[in-house]
Amino acid sequence: MTAAALPVAELMDEELSTDLAAASLALARRYHAGATLWVLSPEWEPHAHHVAVEFVHPVIVGKRALPAFALTGADPIGEARLATRPGDVLLVVAAADDPRIREVVRRAPAWGAETIWIGFGERPEAGAANHVLWVDSSDPMVPATGRFVLMYHLLWELTHVCFEHPGLLQDAQEDCTDDVCITCSDEGRLGEVVMAPVEAYGPALVRTATGEEDVDVTVVGDVVPGDLVLVHAGAALTRLEEVAP
Amino acid sequence: MTDFLYPFIDAHEEDVDALLVDLASSARAKAAESARLQESSLRELDAEIEACAAAMADRFARGGRLYTFGNGGSSTDAATLASLFSHPASGRPLPAWSLAADQAVVTALGNDVGFELIFSRQVIAHSRSVDVVVAMSTSGNSDDLVSALAEARRRGLLTIGFAGYDGGRMAELTAAGELDHCFTIRSQSIHRIQESQARVGHRLWVRTQDLIEQSRTTATTTPGGAR
Repeated sequence: MTAAALPVAELMDEELSTDLAAASLALARRYHAGATLWVLSPEWEPHAHHVAVEFVHPVIVGKRALPAFALTGADPIGEARLATRPGDVLLVVAAADDPRIREVVRRAPAWGAETIWIGFGERPEAGAANHVLWVDSSDPMVPATGRFVLMYHLLWELTHVCFEHPGLLQDAQEDCTDDVCITCSDEGRLGEVVMAPVEAYGPALVRTATGEEDVDVTVVGDVVPGDLVLVHAGAALTRLEEVAP
Repeated sequence: MTDFLYPFIDAHEEDVDALLVDLASSARAKAAESARLQESSLRELDAEIEACAAAMADRFARGGRLYTFGNGGSSTDAATLASLFSHPASGRPLPAWSLAADQAVVTALGNDVGFELIFSRQVIAHSRSVDVVVAMSTSGNSDDLVSALAEARRRGLLTIGFAGYDGGRMAELTAAGELDHCFTIRSQSIHRIQESQARVGHRLWVRTQDLIEQSRTTATTTPGGAR
């Protein structure tokens, strides 16, 4: 709470700058492929609006206007589920223990969305989001000191630098072919149940990163909309348990 | 489509790595520039922050409310400042609102009386002379902010402006004695200006809280109007 001078390294160290670079390139590649950016910040709603206006109405004349929306309703999970299409990006500004945001980033792979998580204090567990851009401070005032503003300003600036390198915007994932890429075929894919079976032993309608498909759920038993399952070869193998509150 | 420029996989990979190194280096340089500007701004504006915090603490002690506003990204920074005062993680909550928050009011005023009056008409509707307004801008020139500051000034409110570049019209108003406090961030970058404005706004909140706490322990008056 003092106005003690912050060392430069404290605003952006080597590790954070590397994470930010990777997130910027990923966002540029997703935009290049037609993505929309969805932004959620349930506790600090103005940050969600600031990110959106940054991309939609750039401060530098001549930079592309890009699709970005703040999702600020009472039901972040439902809003994100409805908004997201495969290839989109979800950016969340939230603490690591926000239960709504934890659900959003957990479900994002089933919606086909890449995730960027900006926050401070205790970090989310490894792999919680595709990109974690973390302010290494537990000062509860961090969200009002400009640290997040700096983070998403730089995300916008670096994303536009990437657009100056069109040859590098081809996402490596687009190059993979059906038989060799484990993210596309061999392993279990995350799915979210959209509709339970209408008759005994019938298939459930399940949403995965590639769209909606009928999935055999006889192994996992009764499912209800919203359940997360691992899908392999047209069948649900496992139901993922609820995250502990 | 542009892959013919990068026909070899190895060259492709190397170029991605080089770009990532450049991006990370650029991020650190920009963050360092932001940090330097934040520190120099806090130093340059220290006396003004103290005077402004004292005036705000006095207004809050007399039951005043805070209204903040801005356009675009600055409107969100103004909302963050309002919520810092009204919902602080620690310290005493103080009554503060963002005047850009209600889309019904903003669009009604923009449509019916003109965009340059979206905030000044709200100042007329809401405010009492004991209240405080904070206008956040990077140019210091926005018509809707300048007109709201002028309206607030006519009504006896405490008027505070945040600007960048050379301060624009807000600096002119300050020089003419028509704006009580002005915090101008000396930069040509909208992003760096906004980052320093957040830091100065946070410092203003810290000092206002300190002064309210001090007055509570040294005098019989207590902050009123904060429910």
